Amino acid sequence: MSTASTVYGIVARDLVRATRQTSRLLGGLVRPFMWLLLVGTGYNAIARLEGGISYQAFVFPGVVVMASLFGAMLTAIATVYDREFGMLRLMLASPAGMPAVLVGRAVAAAVVGFTQGAVVLLFAPLVAPAPASALLAGCGALALSSASSAMLGLLVAARLTSVENFAGVINVVLFPLLFVSGALYPTSGMPSVLRALARVNPVTYQVDLMRHAFHQPVEFSATRGVLALAATTIVAFGLTALLFDPEQRFVGRQDPRDRPLTETQQPRSDAPA
Amino acid sequence: MSTPPAIETEGLGRDYGSVRALRALDLLVPAGALVGLLGPNGAGKTTAMLLLATILAPSRGTARIFGADVRRERIAVRRRLGLVFQETSIDGLLTVEENLRFAARLCGLGGPKLRAAVAEAIDRAGLGERAAQPARQLSGGWRRLVDVARATLHRPDLLILDEPTVGLDPEHRERIWTILATERRERGTAVLFSTHYLAEAEPADRVVLLAGGEVVASDTPAALRAAVGDEVAEMEGPGAERLARALRGLGSVVTFLKTERGFRVGLKGEREAVVALAMDAPGIEHLSLRPASLEDAYFARTRPGMR
Repeated sequence: MSTASTVYGIVARDLVRATRQTSRLLGGLVRPFMWLLLVGTGYNAIARLEGGISYQAFVFPGVVVMASLFGAMLTAIATVYDREFGMLRLMLASPAGMPAVLVGRAVAAAVVGFTQGAVVLLFAPLVAPAPASALLAGCGALALSSASSAMLGLLVAARLTSVENFAGVINVVLFPLLFVSGALYPTSGMPSVLRALARVNPVTYQVDLMRHAFHQPVEFSATRGVLALAATTIVAFGLTALLFDPEQRFVGRQDPRDRPLTETQQPRSDAPA
Repeated sequence: MSTPPAIETEGLGRDYGSVRALRALDLLVPAGALVGLLGPNGAGKTTAMLLLATILAPSRGTARIFGADVRRERIAVRRRLGLVFQETSIDGLLTVEENLRFAARLCGLGGPKLRAAVAEAIDRAGLGERAAQPARQLSGGWRRLVDVARATLHRPDLLILDEPTVGLDPEHRERIWTILATERRERGTAVLFSTHYLAEAEPADRVVLLAGGEVVASDTPAALRAAVGDEVAEMEGPGAERLARALRGLGSVVTFLKTERGFRVGLKGEREAVVALAMDAPGIEHLSLRPASLEDAYFARTRPGMR
């Protein structure tokens, strides 16, 4: 009960915060539509794609994923603000502790990502006409994409201590994940090194699964896509739990007095005196 | 069965790499007691509090909160605690009431219990008119009051407050101490606090002085004052050192302390000889003879070379 209440509280707070950061919310929606309308219209004239579909129709699943990726990851990475301004310490000191904090933040980030992706998905009839069942399948793919993006965002935030790194993280993490995913152009034309990177990039599987929903040419089976994203979510959660706060890692384990301190138990150099 | 102490530590210590922030803290805070943790910046106060709050893991020693081990029984410990950190823990994007609702959720409250706890906390801290206001619009004093309301929301048995009144005007300081006094009176809540306003520690049942990561004194405020002397002669000016050394020759001098501006000499017993000597001393720009204060005890115990 305590854990459920804590998770609910963290999710509710994050969603209230998301609705009050209107410029960020609008920015998250404008970005995909800019790509779809401005870049998409321009590329329509020059892009020759498999199956003869327009560039806008081709890029639509990728743009849905883009909206979800940025929404979920940025919400999750915003944990660094809580770390810097003291709210994270308050959450970690709650009886439910770190697991509830991670679950709550992941759920909230996934909901934000899903909502932003769903708003774009609503415009499918205008850009990439598909039956209602495709939209339903798209929602399923979106849910998995949002969950895995949220956990990747938390993993990135796990060791970030300063908001000053925030912009750098977007450039170094978010854009490469998007650009090497097949969201904006097919990976088949990429050099082999980039194609190899694309195959280990979780966003590739998000885009591929979304293309399944829209009956577009795909690289992997739907089962493989689902498994890849589920594995990404679980592995990222485990890694985040290990990295997030070493001080909280040994809850419920044996008394550390019974064994010597290991390197991983050494305190952080930025801890207070 | 007797109630276990609110806090009981033995040799509690914490290192940050090669830096020994807290050497070995032995502390006993009985249930319902008010204990002040004083010391200069970097003395180890915040580290001690974060260890007790289960935010940091100890490098050595033991600590129990109402009998529960801070390492092995963190959840049990956290259920008994209310915390105010050195920095305010308030979300500026939420209203005051939303912040308190969030805190109540973190404590595991929900439904009617949550609503009642939040309403009581708002009432207790006098936040009624500001409940719907975004927290970012509050002044520092009101933000700190929200922090205290948050920490007392679930009616904890032990409050750990790290400089709860720092930077506040006297009115807000008074409000905070009134809330804490009410918690103690009505619920028997134990309070461990740190402060740099030494007068705030005067009503404490016990004061623990920390310096350089270790306890340098632990006693009642009255006993700490008494150890400095009955009275303190404070002197400034070019002749202050000569006078202080002359006073030292008298048998009545208990403590002798060089400050930034002059000297403080703690005296016991006869004061006439001191007054006579001081009246004739040349180069004295300021001289006062006053009762010993907690600040004198603080300086006497925490200054390097005085310990």
